[in-house]
Amino acid sequence: MNVRIEALAEATYVVPEGRLDFDAAGRFQEALEKAVAGTGQAPAALIVDGAALEYVSSAGLRAVLIGAKAAQRAGVPFALCALQPAVREVFELSGFSRIMAVHADRASALAQAQRGRT
Amino acid sequence: MDDSSVPSRARAARAGLTPALLFVPLRRGLAAVAAPIHRLADVLLVSRGPYARAFENLILGLIIFSVASIGVESIPDLPQWMLRALRITEMVIVAVFSFEYLLRIVAARNKLAFIFSYQGIIDLLAIAPFYLTGFDARWLRALRLLRLLRVLKLQTHILESVVEERTQELAHKNAALEAAQAQLKAELEVARALQLAILPSAFPARAGCDAAARMIPATTMGGDFYDYIELPGGSIGLVIADVSGHGVPAAFFMAVARTNLRELATRHADPAECLAYTNDALCAQNPLDLFVTVFYCILDPQTGVLHYANGGHNPPYIRRAAGPVEALDGAGGLVLGAMPGASYATHTVQLLGGDRLVLYTDGVTEAFNPAAELYGASRLVDEVYVHGGGTPQALVERICQSVSTFAGSAPQSDDITLTVLTWGAP
Repeated sequence: MNVRIEALAEATYVVPEGRLDFDAAGRFQEALEKAVAGTGQAPAALIVDGAALEYVSSAGLRAVLIGAKAAQRAGVPFALCALQPAVREVFELSGFSRIMAVHADRASALAQAQRGRT
Repeated sequence: MDDSSVPSRARAARAGLTPALLFVPLRRGLAAVAAPIHRLADVLLVSRGPYARAFENLILGLIIFSVASIGVESIPDLPQWMLRALRITEMVIVAVFSFEYLLRIVAARNKLAFIFSYQGIIDLLAIAPFYLTGFDARWLRALRLLRLLRVLKLQTHILESVVEERTQELAHKNAALEAAQAQLKAELEVARALQLAILPSAFPARAGCDAAARMIPATTMGGDFYDYIELPGGSIGLVIADVSGHGVPAAFFMAVARTNLRELATRHADPAECLAYTNDALCAQNPLDLFVTVFYCILDPQTGVLHYANGGHNPPYIRRAAGPVEALDGAGGLVLGAMPGASYATHTVQLLGGDRLVLYTDGVTEAFNPAAELYGASRLVDEVYVHGGGTPQALVERICQSVSTFAGSAPQSDDITLTVLTWGAP
């Protein structure tokens, strides 16, 4: 799995590509923690863009949970967006979609993060 | 004063001196000279430092030079100045060789053994003719060629001993690593045995119902578990659960989750309430942010009524005796351990005579084959539909076999757990 981080002014996007399984979970968690810490100052929002995420295992969910908790501690709004149907189902079955914001696309995720911030 | 000083004391007495007066400065003098000589021998011969290497090269150069000079000396009508130069260098060479020879004796642990060894004799032969016959024993100096052989032999010997030393070091380290690994493996095997031992081996005996289960960990230790709990009033609690990740951390969390759930199940008759309390208990003791998906149901063996609550687990299947396979609704409750204060919902389903309840973890449906395809829910449903008519044990084995055949040579990436319950007449 590959993880891209796009640090933009309005939000930092974390983009996992491929399979987020046991082997990739550690790397993804590090990427999220790095994104929360930011460079110099905390990001305006942290949004995981799942458009290229094909699969997530329970270890992968744990990495997402740890990232979300780190963001919460840092006061950074956290959201997921553009999840593929199979991944979205995992988030729904596990109840994660009840404790994390899951949006259709970046725009709606960003809009809600900005509302939550003001 | 020790007794070994007797001869020198006697000599001193003959010379008219008191023994004490002569002995003390003599011993001090000897000690003062001996210590630096030993140090020098150590630096030039024993150690493998830069000085030793330089000294060895010096000796090697002198040997070659002295052997070559024999040839030069044999040329007739050499000018007088050259003969004198050759004589002076010969003296210098013999002086250095003598010094080296004495140092070797000093450095040798067993001095006699060195003197009479091949090396010792050649070293002596290289210098002895000079002392015995002066400059004329020219041909005897050819013996110094043997020294050349000796030096080469010495260098090979040093190289070999370095290689041997390194090999031994490596062997020691390998052995230590292997021992540590073996111990770790043995301890993990014990832990694995302990973990498997806390899984129930037999379903509580009840007329009209039966169950079978299997847990296959992906690594030595698993994070999956299943449980049968005998509840007050004759009901039976049935649990299947999957801790995020696997390995030792997951195994520990599994043991904590199982213990908490088992304890709280006897106190809370409602499955949703039981999960909510278990969730709060797990959140309070979860330093690693692990979580566990739990499906928990309570069967009334008299009536076949099943109350259940789902904390983030894959919805189990019911294979109706009449044929169709249905997924239980009510999925989507939060996994346990992720966030305190979560609430769950209790659902109810009526089992009919001969129905099978199939509980599984995602290690079954998310098993991969070498082509990176998922086993998937549809294959599982097919197996349940086609082979669900037999005993629970037979269906468990059938599904495990099917998954294993599908996965082929692909490594098992997650724990695989299955529980099958039958109720009523078949």
